[in-house]
Formats: sequence, structure tokens, C-alpha cells
Amino acid sequence: MEHESAQSASERSPSTSHRLGTVIDRELRTVARTRTFYLLTAALTAVVIGITWIGGGYAAGYLPTAVDLLTPLELLVPIVAVAFGYRAILADEQRGELDVLETYPISPREFVFGVYVGRAAGLVVAISVPLLLAVVAVAITDSDMLSIYATHTGADSPLLFARFFVLTLLFGLVVLAIALAISSLVSTTRSALGLSIVALVVLLVGFDLALVYGLTEGVVGDESLLHSLAVSPLSAYRGLVLETVVTVASGTGPRVASPVASILGLAAWTAGSLAVAVWSVSR
Amino acid sequence: MTRHTPLLEVTAVDYDYGSVAVLNDITTTFEEGTVTALIGPNGSGKTTLLRVLAGLLEPTDGSVRYRDANATRRIGYLPQQPAFRPGFTVLETLQFYSSLVGAGETDARTRLEQVGLGDAAERPVEALSGGMTRLVGIAQATIGDPPIIVLDEPASGLDPGMSKHVFEIATELADAGTAVLLSSHDLELVDRTAHDVLILDDGQIVRHGQPAAIRAELGVGSLRAVYEDSIAAEEGTVRVQGVSS
Repeated sequence: MEHESAQSASERSPSTSHRLGTVIDRELRTVARTRTFYLLTAALTAVVIGITWIGGGYAAGYLPTAVDLLTPLELLVPIVAVAFGYRAILADEQRGELDVLETYPISPREFVFGVYVGRAAGLVVAISVPLLLAVVAVAITDSDMLSIYATHTGADSPLLFARFFVLTLLFGLVVLAIALAISSLVSTTRSALGLSIVALVVLLVGFDLALVYGLTEGVVGDESLLHSLAVSPLSAYRGLVLETVVTVASGTGPRVASPVASILGLAAWTAGSLAVAVWSVSR
Repeated sequence: MTRHTPLLEVTAVDYDYGSVAVLNDITTTFEEGTVTALIGPNGSGKTTLLRVLAGLLEPTDGSVRYRDANATRRIGYLPQQPAFRPGFTVLETLQFYSSLVGAGETDARTRLEQVGLGDAAERPVEALSGGMTRLVGIAQATIGDPPIIVLDEPASGLDPGMSKHVFEIATELADAGTAVLLSSHDLELVDRTAHDVLILDDGQIVRHGQPAAIRAELGVGSLRAVYEDSIAAEEGTVRVQGVSS
């Protein structure tokens, strides 16, 4: 059982960066031409601005705004990220374009990474627009008109919101990688939707429940809980926000997460999900 | 016709879908500068064989050996039902594929002109008819000048004029040195155009050779007669592989 060739590589093949750029460009154009993504961005913007307004965060400062937004974004960012990714690879598979691409000098790794980067760029815009508008609203209307741009205990600062902003983007990118893995594993849009919903439930509720169960049953010890939280992308994100944004500002309170373990957890989910997608595409 | 070096050697290839044997002991070669037509009844394994040849399916047993791997793209492939990502024009679609082999817009336009779709360059792919989509698919299959081009039913669903045009394109590609492998149910066009014919029945090659030579061997006047003589299943029935009758 073999497929052989006398000479496998071609000197005329374009570089990896060129091929990656080609796939990324295609994804960017797709995102830019898909109205659903604009609607998602608009909806997320409306929710974020609404919460900022109703919660009074815009007048109270950057930190109160971040705290107000944390829980809603824990739910909304995964939904938006899944919407950006759940059909990204599946649609090419359904049209037979993955088969055609297999005859071109592009590896599954390059293809998956290119799709991820292209979709990620769109997702970053979708998350950034509402959060930047929120921060502008705070900057304009904040009653204290903060001039402190260093973070230290007890002080509100735009930098705290910037950390929240970056962590939220990271969380979205992790979920996007998971959505791409799902997209590569399923064969129909219905199963992609179904598996995405299951993944969202597991991501948003399942892991937390499992950790609580593990804690009550003694499987997860008190001393290892901070690190165990890193297993769940949602807990890792929440822990990172609480540890590097909220606790920093309040200056007191117990540790709520291990930032290093949480970052490693998010990185592992991203790398693992993309690896699954590459494996699935190369099957 | 002068025979050339085989570009593709298929040796004792089997392909099974689970417990169903779809291809059985396929051994043949495909040479540069030839149009080889794969014909056979529905379910005889044509698409599976083409996908094995295109490197999309790994044979269960046997080997497929490519002799010329210097090309940027080794094999061009047209799926049976080509489709493209919506929201892009025909030109943008071909530019995407051209870019993957290091070419650009000029190359994409040339491919479009080659299949007679130059005027449709700015049309969205979702606004193309089935026949035009197939022609774009053929243009795609030629990108990178692969030495072997595999076309799965390139004339399916096309009107007679368009079908003839597709076979003319295949001939032009062969004239330029490409080994073209295509499947078709249009036996008259195959008879007129193909250099070689390979008849597949129940996952096995039952005839292989130049149309005229096969006709002479069987003493019949047309490829249709050759086909009817070679195929075991009764006309109007579909042989389901894995089910003995």
C-alpha cells in the first residue's frame, strides 16, 4: 500500500509564508463579505454598550466596567467565536474543495493555520469594536477623569481594562480553535451545530461543574484547585481576569487562580484543538 | 500514435470500503500526451479509482507510482460535483488556486480563457450554471500545469456543444503533453476523442486499449457495442458491489 514519487519536493513551489498568506487572504475576504459576522459584531457591541450604560460602569471607571462585562462576555464571546469557526473547514469539505486543495502544494498544517489566522483576525475585530467603544465611553464620561496610567493597588486605570481586553481576546481565540477542531471533525452542518452546542455547554457549564464535583468528592484538593481551574478555558479566563485585573486593583483577598497555569491551560487548548484540526484534515 | 513513458503506474491496487471491495487488482499505466477515458456502469468503481489515482484515497493494497514529480502540482483534479466558496468571483476563485502554485491573476485569466469563460471572470461563482461551474473546475484542474489531470465526469450535465468543448480541452491538454484521465458516460465522444479506453466493471478492468483496437478485437463497429459486450450487468440495472447475484 503506497503512493510513491521519484522526487517529492518541487523547487518551484511557493514559500510557506506565501501559501499561508493566500489562505489567510481568502479567509479575510470571506469574513469581510459575510453579513452574519457584521450582525454578530453589532449585536455584541449593543450588549456591551448596553451593559456598560445600565451598569453605570461608564461613569464609575474602567475596573467597574470590566467587572460588569466579565460574566456576560464569558457567555457571549464563546458564542461569537463558535459562529466564526464552526463551518470554516466543514464548508470547504462539503464543497469538495478540501479534496481539490489536497492536490495543491499546501499542507494540512498550513491550511488549518491559515484558516485560523484569517478567522481570528475577524474575531479580534468583532470583540475589539465593542470593547474599544466601551473604553471610549468610560474615558469620555468617567467622573474622576483618571490620569493614572500605571496599575497599582487600589487605583483604577485604563491598563486594567487593557488587560481585561487582551484576556478576552485570548479567550475568544481559544474558543475559535476549538470551533475549528469541531468544524474539521464533523461532516454535516447539523452535526457541526450540534457538536458546537455541546462544546459550548461543556465549556460554559460542564467543566465548572466537574471541578465543583471534584472538589466536593475530594478528587481535586484545596491546594491544587488554583491549578485545576486551568483545565477549563472558561475558568482559566475568569481566573486570569480576577487575578490580574480585579485583585490587583482591590489589593486584598485570596488568590483566585494561578496565572501561569491558566495561560498554559489556554495555550494547551489552542494548540490541542488546532492539532486535532490538522489531523482531521489530513485523514 | 507514439507511446511515451508512463507518468503513472498502478500496480495491483485494491480498495475496500469496509468489507465491500470496490477495486480489485487494478494494474495499468497512464502515459503523457494521452487522453484515457474511464468508462463503466454506475457503481463500477470509476470515481473511487480516479480518487485513488489523484492521491485522495490510499489504496487498501497495491501501489500507485508517479514518475514525474518535478511539477509544482503533481496532479490536477476535477471532482464529480465541483463547487466553490460563495462570495467570490470566478477570477478571484482561480486566483486563489493559482496563488497556491506561485502564479497570479494573469495565470488565472489564461486558464479561464482556455475553457472559454473569459467573459465570466467577474461573475460570482454562485451565479454560474452547473456547466459553467464545471468549466471553472476544469480550469482549476489545469492550474500549475500538472503532468497528470484527473477529471471525474467533466461533461456530466453539459449540453452537447459544451461536452464537445470539454473533450476538446482534454485533447489540447494531451497535445501539450499532459496525461488526461477522465470518466464519462458519453461513449460517442469518448470513441472520437480518447486515445485509450479503460472499461471498468465490478471494480475490475475488463478492457484497456485504443478504441479502434478494441473495436477490431471484438469485431464491432462502435464503442457502445464494446461496452455492451464487456459489461456483465444487465442494462438498466445497477450492480451493487459486495452483493453477489
